[in-house]
Amino acid sequence: MTALYALFDNAQAARRAIELVRAAGVPHREILVLSNRPLEGFDEGRSRATRQWLVATGGGLVGLAFGTALTTLTQTAWPLSTGNMPIVTWWANLIIMFEMTMLGAILATCGALLVFARLGRSRKVYDPAVSAGQILVGVERPRPEQVGELQRALRAAGAAVRTLE
Amino acid sequence: MTDRAELARLDDLLRPLERTTWRFYALVAGLAVVVLLGAVAWVSQMVIGFGTTGIAPPIMWAFYITNFVFWIGISHAGTLISAILRLVNAGWRKPVTRCAEVITVFALMIGAMFPLIHLGRPWLFFWLVPYPNRRLIWPNFRSPLVWDFFAIGTYLAGSVLFLLLPMIPDLATIRDRTTGVRRRIYGALALGWRGTAEQWARLETAMQIMAVAIIPVAVSVHTIVSFDFAMAPVPTWHSTIFGPYFVAGAIFSGIAALIVVMAALRRSLRLEAYLQPLHFDHLGRLLLLMSLLWAYFVFAERLTTWYGNDSAEIAVLMQTQRGGFAPLFWTMIVCNLVVPVALLAPRRLRTIRGCVIASCSVCIGMWLERFLIIVPALGHKYLPYRWGTYRPRAVEITITVATFAAMTLLYTLFAKLVPVISLWEWHGGERLARSPQPTAMPEKQLTDMRQ
Amino acid sequence: MPHRWGMVVDLDRCTGCEACVTACHAENNIPTVGDRQAARGRAMHWIRVERYFEGVFPDVRVKFRPVLCQQCDAAPCEPVCPTYASHHTEEGLNAQVYNRCIGTRYCANACPYSVRFFNFFNPAWETPLHLQLNPDVSVREGGVMEKCTFCVQRITAAEIQAKAERRELKDGAIAPACVQSCPAKAMVFGDLNDPESEASRLARSPRGSKLLGDLGTQPKVTYLERQSPV
Repeated sequence: MTALYALFDNAQAARRAIELVRAAGVPHREILVLSNRPLEGFDEGRSRATRQWLVATGGGLVGLAFGTALTTLTQTAWPLSTGNMPIVTWWANLIIMFEMTMLGAILATCGALLVFARLGRSRKVYDPAVSAGQILVGVERPRPEQVGELQRALRAAGAAVRTLE
Repeated sequence: MTDRAELARLDDLLRPLERTTWRFYALVAGLAVVVLLGAVAWVSQMVIGFGTTGIAPPIMWAFYITNFVFWIGISHAGTLISAILRLVNAGWRKPVTRCAEVITVFALMIGAMFPLIHLGRPWLFFWLVPYPNRRLIWPNFRSPLVWDFFAIGTYLAGSVLFLLLPMIPDLATIRDRTTGVRRRIYGALALGWRGTAEQWARLETAMQIMAVAIIPVAVSVHTIVSFDFAMAPVPTWHSTIFGPYFVAGAIFSGIAALIVVMAALRRSLRLEAYLQPLHFDHLGRLLLLMSLLWAYFVFAERLTTWYGNDSAEIAVLMQTQRGGFAPLFWTMIVCNLVVPVALLAPRRLRTIRGCVIASCSVCIGMWLERFLIIVPALGHKYLPYRWGTYRPRAVEITITVATFAAMTLLYTLFAKLVPVISLWEWHGGERLARSPQPTAMPEKQLTDMRQ
Repeated sequence: MPHRWGMVVDLDRCTGCEACVTACHAENNIPTVGDRQAARGRAMHWIRVERYFEGVFPDVRVKFRPVLCQQCDAAPCEPVCPTYASHHTEEGLNAQVYNRCIGTRYCANACPYSVRFFNFFNPAWETPLHLQLNPDVSVREGGVMEKCTFCVQRITAAEIQAKAERRELKDGAIAPACVQSCPAKAMVFGDLNDPESEASRLARSPRGSKLLGDLGTQPKVTYLERQSPV
């Protein structure tokens, strides 16, 4: 079985379902919760959030290095005097370096989001009712011996159980 | 929250995507004609020669650069609303964010056209891109125009991504409600979004990071646009106040544009329940604040110039105070200060209609402000023998009008394809855990709860 | 020591006849824009004689001054060009590279002397005037900026000739078209790095001053004050 799940109307009902599924012996990581809006209190992703900030900072540093190299190295390679200014005008280059830093951070953040949120890969378990407002609580690939207990737990939380083969 | 209320909301917000009347086609056709006229005007300018414009020495920049600064200024709407209000957790921003971000993206695209339109040889614009070549072509990183290119490029990339990222969950919702080719297109754009708790958390963190990153970029963009003027030794241009002055003016005109767009959307898409008088009241107060801030900058700038008594600068100043540009100057003061304060300060007048009238007035006033910064100064530089005047010609007026039509057209098409109010940012604060557990809960959510 | 080209204009000798303007047009293939374009201020006189009238009739005084590109050492037109079309050469000239110009006209705005000109249209010479074009100087297309180059084609030709003949350039060997054509010999061109050149000596004159000298552009054209009463 690919997945076993039920749909709930609101967050309280979904919360009860999660507790019951937990009590049936499923670890927190294996519980699948799908919703069409962010629901707080489920994902303990603090360390992963920090990782996103680190990726953004890393991207910014790459951008900074690129901007510095682009301006300083090319100005030295083809020195053209303008307005009695030095050949490498670091004041002015700061502007290009700044923009490239921010661009690096922005692009790194978006790229990292695609990876961290596993976007772009084929969907496995999904129900269109989620986008109409229902909250899906279920388990992907449940162990065969757990199926009965899970079905009881979800029904106890008050919803019709569905399966995905 | 019941299923029915949610479905009714989705129906309301997705109705423009799911139903089209003849009015839509008529509007698009009319706007497309005007945009086409603008394109014809530009092509004629390229084929016949730049001399078809009103540009003549010493005024080498006029309408096109005014439009450039004006549209880049309008683009600051999205950043203020989306990013700054997101960072201070102002909940009332939620239905307004996407409207504003769309303005930013399209205003930037239109604004970025003008450096091309005003070039003598626009087919060579790509020489501003640092690409390896053997023709001794390389951009000059000391030039404010090259800074413009990098800044606007970064801001455009950032704004497009800032718009697209929170659109992904909505694209998934639309995917689930459509069939056939549309379903496949929206599905592909939704990138397989499911709405897992992890995806939501990653998306929200990404939006936080983007908000923090895009604000300094936005500030830098309009500062760099102001440097186009401040870095030239033209009397009254070479002023250190230009950076903050222009940024404040940009945010000012951006809020005004946002209010106008929101009112138009509210009326045409029947979004009265979602874009409420409360939103206009809040934006109206921000507009009032920016009007006073703008007036402060103008006053400080002009008083300093007057006290400085530099003969060249006084000559330019007198052009706007007593000379040929005085009528436009005083119109600008009325539009940017008198009307907004009159309509937005008294609470009774700060209605939706009051806000819209004030905003239209500000849009006119801010366009005049850009024009009055550029043309009087260029017309009165240091050698009086070379003082001159400017009168716009048909090609410049046509292209200016066409850009307003282009903005409306792009926005109309966008509203037909994507809901202008974010479907998922409507909610807030629903919890899946029973009580706060200090060890298990991410800090961000603890902070949210405290606020 | 590299050359550093400069010019001295003696306002006491200048009669305002504008022979320099005509010679410049002829030497540098500058198009005449026609009366309607000229009325709009689009005439392209790389050197022009500025005239100011002071006083009320019959006590009118005329002040005039030939204004050309000052080849500033701290030229404000150079840092603002996005394509390096306007840059400083090793001999102190402000070069205008037509082929790199994309026509942003920023340099024209930045120039306090308003000596930079824009080709609003593709230039045309009615036959047989096209036969008079100088083959040493390119013809610029519409959309490109241009300005006085101190007749760099003459400078380069003289330098090449001197190098081929393995001798030094003599002072006064190079004369831009304006200097060459002035009937009052009001203009002197020379190497400011050579303290004995006539240009250097005249630049040190107590009558000398720079146009808009307080702007910090460091122009290399020195104007010698007019001392005659009228």
